[in-house]
Amino acid sequence: MTRYIVRRLLLAIPTLAGIVVLVFFLLHLAPGSPMSAAGGESGRRMSQRAADEMRKVYGLDRPLPERFGKWVSRVARLDFGESFVDRRPVLDRIDEALPYTLLLNGLALLLTLAIAVPLGVVTGGRPDGPLDRVSGPLLFALYSLPAFWAALLLQTLFSVRLQWLPLYGVASDSPDGSGLADRVAHLVLPVVCLTYGSLAFYARLIRASVAETRNADYVLAARARGLSRREALWKHAFRNALLPLVTLLGLVLPGLLSGSVIIEKIFAWPGLGRLYFDSILSRDYPVVLALSLLGAVATLVLTLAADIAGAAVDPRVRDGTIG
Amino acid sequence: MSAIPAFILPVRPRRSLPGTARVALGVVVFLWVVAALSPLASARAADIRLNERLLAPSRAHPFGTDDLGRDLFARVVAATPISLAIGTTAAAVSVVVGFAIGAAAGWFGGVTDLLLSRGVEVVLCFPVLFLLLALAAFLPPSPATVILAIGLTTWPGDARFARAEILKARDLDYTRAARAAGATTRRILLRHLLPVAAPPLLVSAAFGVGWAILAEAALSFLGVGLPPPMASWGGILAVAPAYIDEAWWIALFPGVALFVTVAAYNLLAEGLRAATTEKVNR
Amino acid sequence: MRLAGSLARVSLAALCFAPACRDRTGAAAPAGRTARAAKSSRAPASPSLLGYLDESLLGTPREGGTLRRRLLGDPATLNAVMQSGAPEQEVLQYVSRNLLDFDSRMQLVPGLAESYAVSADGRSYTFTIRKDAVWEDGLPVTAADAVFTIRSIVDPHVPSPVFKSVFDGLVSVEASGERSFTARFREPYAYRAMAFVLPVLPQRRFSGIDFLRAPDNRAPLANGPYRLASWRAQDEIVLERNPKAWGPRGHFDRVVFKVLPEDSVSYRALTGGGVDETRLDTSGRQRAVSDPAFRSCCRMVEYYDLGWNYIALNNRSPLFSDPAVRRALTMLLDRAGIVRGLFRGSARIISGPWAPDSPAYDPSVPPLPYDPAAAAALLDGAGWRDTNGDGTRDRAGREFVFDLLVSSGTTTGRQIDETFAAELSRAGIHARLRSLEWASFTERVDAGNFEAASLAWSASDPNPDPYPYWHSTQWPPQGLNSGFYRNAEADRLMDAARREPNVDRRNATYHRLHRIFRDDAPVVFVATSSQKFGFRNRVRGLVSSPLGLFGVWPGPIGWWAEDGGGGAPPPKTPGRGH
Repeated sequence: MTRYIVRRLLLAIPTLAGIVVLVFFLLHLAPGSPMSAAGGESGRRMSQRAADEMRKVYGLDRPLPERFGKWVSRVARLDFGESFVDRRPVLDRIDEALPYTLLLNGLALLLTLAIAVPLGVVTGGRPDGPLDRVSGPLLFALYSLPAFWAALLLQTLFSVRLQWLPLYGVASDSPDGSGLADRVAHLVLPVVCLTYGSLAFYARLIRASVAETRNADYVLAARARGLSRREALWKHAFRNALLPLVTLLGLVLPGLLSGSVIIEKIFAWPGLGRLYFDSILSRDYPVVLALSLLGAVATLVLTLAADIAGAAVDPRVRDGTIG
Repeated sequence: MSAIPAFILPVRPRRSLPGTARVALGVVVFLWVVAALSPLASARAADIRLNERLLAPSRAHPFGTDDLGRDLFARVVAATPISLAIGTTAAAVSVVVGFAIGAAAGWFGGVTDLLLSRGVEVVLCFPVLFLLLALAAFLPPSPATVILAIGLTTWPGDARFARAEILKARDLDYTRAARAAGATTRRILLRHLLPVAAPPLLVSAAFGVGWAILAEAALSFLGVGLPPPMASWGGILAVAPAYIDEAWWIALFPGVALFVTVAAYNLLAEGLRAATTEKVNR
Repeated sequence: MRLAGSLARVSLAALCFAPACRDRTGAAAPAGRTARAAKSSRAPASPSLLGYLDESLLGTPREGGTLRRRLLGDPATLNAVMQSGAPEQEVLQYVSRNLLDFDSRMQLVPGLAESYAVSADGRSYTFTIRKDAVWEDGLPVTAADAVFTIRSIVDPHVPSPVFKSVFDGLVSVEASGERSFTARFREPYAYRAMAFVLPVLPQRRFSGIDFLRAPDNRAPLANGPYRLASWRAQDEIVLERNPKAWGPRGHFDRVVFKVLPEDSVSYRALTGGGVDETRLDTSGRQRAVSDPAFRSCCRMVEYYDLGWNYIALNNRSPLFSDPAVRRALTMLLDRAGIVRGLFRGSARIISGPWAPDSPAYDPSVPPLPYDPAAAAALLDGAGWRDTNGDGTRDRAGREFVFDLLVSSGTTTGRQIDETFAAELSRAGIHARLRSLEWASFTERVDAGNFEAASLAWSASDPNPDPYPYWHSTQWPPQGLNSGFYRNAEADRLMDAARREPNVDRRNATYHRLHRIFRDDAPVVFVATSSQKFGFRNRVRGLVSSPLGLFGVWPGPIGWWAEDGGGGAPPPKTPGRGH
């Protein structure tokens, strides 16, 4: 087991290096520059001299490999540099946005699980039952609903026409705006938009593995011992569904870090997704690089964690034939 | 009898398509018919009339008009082949590339597997949005760019899947037997392993179509999709937020088209999955 | 009632040069009316008043309350030298006084500087700073501060996108006493004094530390009527009165800036009471006209500024090197249709590279007509005929096909481009639209690496000098004449105008240039569209000008709240509606 973990950690190094090199060179070779992005659409065009000086200030006049070497050596010391846009440390900017993204996506994930797990167990316990027949197509319909479109319609209905929920943002700026109820009201629409699509994913996964095991010997044995159908399902069949669920979470959790760009953009949510998108548009290289790197590390670590959890039970994985 | 023609599915389905999937298949066929007929609408879809902007749905304009006075019904129809073609091609690219790489990794194992798996991992961990924006910035906006961008970001899933399937099948008896009988690698892969992996890949491709159509819509919505005046449903929708109070129909109709299409493909995919896997034992 | 009061002061910009003929002697509005009465009379009134507005003499300013303003984005810095965009300028205006300012008539007026003198050779400018000008800690604003500021701007290690090019010709800048300094330039320049619409940094706060990382960049020391109270990144900036303010003071106790990038969102914030003002686009204006929520709380302010839309053509491209072809392209674009359809009437067709409210613009030069038949004849005459019958004109084996770039962020630009492309295709010209995001778009346009591109010109000062953008010495990569325009006569006139000290003679030269530009059609001149803002009725004292509502002195500093010291009105539905 330890060998397996060490092996996986070693294998993560080339992957990380590959990502870093790709992001760095793609970013610097892409059209546009911090100079051409400066000031945004309302900004004044810069003279060539101003642009040249700015290039020098940012160190962008140096050859690409040299810049890359510098960046790597700084990152090795956990120094991500300063944002080109406002000259604040990159980590400060990430620090500001991270809690918002975690809150929004964390809530969405909890809500997803709170609905998907019972639904999956119940439909898995009785495949082709009435609930399964209704919920199956419904879940797929939801899964097919484009999030940005749903957000647009929900905003029009609940915020513009009915005025029940706020249109955007984290909290109102009215004096009583910082209350809990107000914050919750601001979370409703974005959380709903992030939740409904992934329901199908989880519910169907759990349903499948519960359905697979509901007639397994040990479940039948448990029923013979006098457990009710419901107890047998939850205690035994569901437990079996946990493993694929954990694996799936390992794949999904890193996404929580990068956030949902479109939803954050539509709801003016100051999270990492918006920071990432804005930073790409303004060619804020240090921020884009830091976010890409952190995202990749998170993905690798969490997939590794999920795989280790998987390896603990599956000998084929442990032996290295899979994974 | 199955609703799927045998030439699509190399193995005989073990179960007929569920009812919802049959409906979905009907919708998909209908959409392709609309796509085939769409050239009839292209002239109207391109007809800019600045004095007929943002007209509400009426008999003359069943879906209303857009921000440049073009007939929205004609535009939604004209967008159908674009969205469908991008969706299916991107999914096909993803499945073919994914299968080739995943199968190679699974079959050859060793150093090949190690290298290819790292490659898959790099793309899996790569920030998708960044890749899409970078590609959009490098390549001139065109259907091919969008297909490439979407295909390039989805193939690792298929690759992992194909690799696992091949790994399983590689050690099966009939594979061993074929190898012992002196069959070439190519022959074994194509004649023995592809049929095993094909049904799940087909399911994956059908889901992939839905995903690709959504991804294209999102890209166009963010402003990095197809160049105007060529419009996909997502491209038409990109205008909608600016006019949401004045012209709800710009948000509604292309969105419905998008939703129906993606739902049809997803339900069809789910039906295929149910039909090609062993019936759940009761 | 209100109509009588304010319409007397509204002069229609189309009829005369507004800043010169604004009526300040009209009957004073009845002062001290109650808010209720004002509201009831306001509701049925037309929400839009096109023209220049001056409410500064309407009613008595009241002290106190909070003004809630909207920002398009979070300022990148509050270091005045390093500012690069509108959000920074809008906040800094309250905090940092400029040496000189523009008033709403586009005239330079004293700010931090009480006076300035120009040397006989026109190359040296000597400024004297006001005796009472102090920083918020009570220390005086000195000539050394101003010298330090200008030296920072020209320092190659300091990015200063806004001011760098303005001080391009600087030879030296020296203090000549506690309160006066002299800046010397390589050559005289007619619009040099405008360079000194310039904020000043406190030298002592930057000594011995890295200029780019100084704490003051995010917490500036104020010398204006307000000072920074708090700044939550990406969210809000709060200003409070500067206790040591000198000169004119603002009427509000606090000014809150909310960062709201989306127009549709800030519109909701406006009607919900979250902000007191917001920009409206053409669609937002339409929405406001029919929205009872807007009419019950807000009014619309609409005026023309110095910006205009155009389609840039690369004059070096074999497609566009012939002025006859460029004229034909202009004549193929139905600009009247665009004004009516896209801008819903709130725009004016232009015929040259200035907005009609600029004194450089000659209103007697009519735009080229919309005339597809004549345009086709021009194209035929230039040798562009469809010889191979594929529906597209060609000449010597080259098809008339080109890429038309548009920035993906602009709705108007894309709409104009799509309309243009559709009109061109009817005339046998194929324009392929390519939308690029802003950074890639500007990189290509600035480098002159494009065939055609849809652009909007915006001006933050009234300097009409066309030299940097149209003179043949200003081609890329050094200059901003990114369409590679060249006309020897135009070059000569531009050179002459730069050296001409007399305003009237300068404008006469520009009027001659205007005619040349119209006939050369270096770009497709399209239109200038009105700027539209929604204001909550409680905010009074607005003055609009061709420089806008904000970029002038006193501008927003002169506004007050009708409900005076009553503080911020609680939004009608707290926590909702925005």
